[in-house]
Amino acid sequence: MADFNIRTDAVDVEQIMRQIRARIESKRGVDYTEEQIQELASVKLERFLDPKGVRSDLVEQFRRVRDLKLEPFHLEPELRTGFDAEMLYGTHRGILRTIRRLLNPLLKLFFNPGTLIHAVNKQSGINTLFEAQFQFLRHKTQQRDEVDVLYYELVHNLVLELTRVGIENRNLKMRLESLSSRMDFDERRARALETVVQYRPGTGPSREPAQARPRPSQDERPYQQQPRPAPPPAPEPVAEAVAAGPSTTVGTGPSTSLGTGPTDATSESNTARRRRRRRRGRRGGRGRTPGEAMEAGGTSTEPASPDDSATPPHGDPTRDAAMDDGADTDADDGPSDGGPDRDDSGEEPEPSAQ
Amino acid sequence: MKLAVVVQRYGADINGGAELHARYVAEHLAQHADVEVLTTCARDYVTWRDDYRPGPDVVNGISVRRFRVDHVRDPHVFGRWSHRVFNDAHSHLDEMKWLDAEGPRSTALLRHLRSSDAGYDYVFFFSYRYYHAYHGAKAVPSRAILVPTAERDEAIGLALSPRIFRGVRALMYNSPEEKRLIQTVSDNHDVPSVVVGIGSEIPLKPQAERFRQKYGIEGRFALYVGRIDQNKGCKELFSFFLSGMPALPKGLQLVLIGKEMLPIPEHPRIRHLGFLDDQDKFDALAAADLLVMPSYYESLSMVALEAWALGKPVLANGKCEVLRGQCIRSQAGLYYETQAEFTETLRAISESRGLNAAFSANGRRFFQQHYAWPVIEQKYLDILARLKEDDAKGVSHRGMDPDPGWLAKRRKVLRPANDVLAELPFGPVLN
Repeated sequence: MADFNIRTDAVDVEQIMRQIRARIESKRGVDYTEEQIQELASVKLERFLDPKGVRSDLVEQFRRVRDLKLEPFHLEPELRTGFDAEMLYGTHRGILRTIRRLLNPLLKLFFNPGTLIHAVNKQSGINTLFEAQFQFLRHKTQQRDEVDVLYYELVHNLVLELTRVGIENRNLKMRLESLSSRMDFDERRARALETVVQYRPGTGPSREPAQARPRPSQDERPYQQQPRPAPPPAPEPVAEAVAAGPSTTVGTGPSTSLGTGPTDATSESNTARRRRRRRRGRRGGRGRTPGEAMEAGGTSTEPASPDDSATPPHGDPTRDAAMDDGADTDADDGPSDGGPDRDDSGEEPEPSAQ
Repeated sequence: MKLAVVVQRYGADINGGAELHARYVAEHLAQHADVEVLTTCARDYVTWRDDYRPGPDVVNGISVRRFRVDHVRDPHVFGRWSHRVFNDAHSHLDEMKWLDAEGPRSTALLRHLRSSDAGYDYVFFFSYRYYHAYHGAKAVPSRAILVPTAERDEAIGLALSPRIFRGVRALMYNSPEEKRLIQTVSDNHDVPSVVVGIGSEIPLKPQAERFRQKYGIEGRFALYVGRIDQNKGCKELFSFFLSGMPALPKGLQLVLIGKEMLPIPEHPRIRHLGFLDDQDKFDALAAADLLVMPSYYESLSMVALEAWALGKPVLANGKCEVLRGQCIRSQAGLYYETQAEFTETLRAISESRGLNAAFSANGRRFFQQHYAWPVIEQKYLDILARLKEDDAKGVSHRGMDPDPGWLAKRRKVLRPANDVLAELPFGPVLN
């Protein structure tokens, strides 16, 4: 946030807010507010489900379940109770009851009231049975309604969570893209830096002795083979020039100090050969110290000819050339101080230590 | 010139927004005129129960006259009437009953206003939504000057509100947003008015180190001053602060000053100091990196003005149009509406030195230009001079609209206040 360019008399709050919002948006994608998320949660399910796209009449189902409710139903007492002749002819008026009884034989001449009474009685039983069935169904429907409510809520919450996860997923995707691009950038940067090894005096652990201690002669180097003719003395001015240069960039351009020191061609070629030998030993004998390699294979780490070592065994020639140059620096001051240490520890100094 | 200031409560120990506002105004106008404060005996704003003794009193050298309230406020009755007039179609009579339930009703105060009508040249009424303001302004409309302290709440949507806004002689607004709100609802453009707000007594040299030592606070912190209440947006503030903590500047704390009405999360980076006196409050402001104002509704935030006066940036809730407008007009603060915005704006203010310095300078300038006491006093004097000039010229004043007839006031034809409120414009006023 320290990148706001502010002058006291020129601050614009609205502009800053626009910048902040743009930054948030670019960082997180579309930014949902808490209210928006709540709104998404509270709106009806229909807005999320497309009936055409999903399947069935899910929305209709929900709507119907929500809207339809079985009202309570109870049979009236007279429909529930049985039916008999007394109910058919009975009355609270005594005279009327007497007249009906007198005329009853006459009525039976026209039809059979017994059958009628039986049918109505049966209907009463059926009514009671239906009422019981209805109550049972209603109870079951109520239970189903409760489950449906839970189901509806479950789907609702799922939609809400899905929305959140969707947002988060999008944010994570954007972050992933951002990280990928950063990583690519870092890789490119690392590759570029590998081609340009920068030397700063006094920063590496191997530098200080180069200036403090006298450079040992080539004979003192433990990995120099005795049978080989002793090479001419190491080009001291080169080391001094490197050590004295404030930020000498090695091997990439005309500003390099290498090759500009007072060394003759022979010593230069010998030095280069030694460097290549060491590098080949490093490449070929990983896990073994040069000393061990020497013990194991004698001269096996030696190239057949100096020219052989000029061609890198694999990889990008340009990169290898750059590494060669880096190794030059290593050769100039590394062996002078790091050689004995390396032998003791059995490890080589890392190129990055340069 | 003899002036009266009429306010619902008054006292040196009363720190409510409108009441403090009234006290400051009375004390500063007393340097230019003869000022008397008319108020009730109430100290408690929930019940309006009589706590002070009725009769004359003196507070900080200002003459005060206290009157008994007719009845205490019953929250249930008030809630019922509020629900009716805010949510349902209702009548004029319903609104009058709501206002009566709201209180504080003091017929003795109104009687005094009427009887001593000739005594006061002008009468300042504070807070339009209370009984004393409406009926007081109705009693002396030709001398009534209203300091509405209106917020975007339901009361502004009642039909009685436009009547008082149109009926007084002049209006002293707190902010341009308040002015627009009131003018939209009442169409009172012809009533003389000025956006004035209020000043504050800023100490010359607040002691930031003294505060840090006294309360053992080290490092950087954002400060909140006010009632720690959900209505003030504190719940959201806690949520945003805790959620955004990983992205916030390392070690940035949240320090709270005020009465706790809401459980405060227990976290090492949230400190609650309780209610502090003014000296400690200003010391805290001086020590803070910024002031946070999470409130949704404010007619004018005095503490924000005090922060600006001390050169502290303000981070305000963008949903409060007044605070947002103040931030933009002052160019001395940012605002947030979401979690992400809260985090980013807090980082921006506390991490960017350039931004902080710009806000600091702008805040001081904004306060000096608009809210220093000489500026405020001059605005009050100007409006008084203008009214006096109008009186001398014999400019007529229409007064408050007459009450509807017996039948008309019982007809339920008034819209729910919430519906009216929903149609009012929203957002900061920038021009």
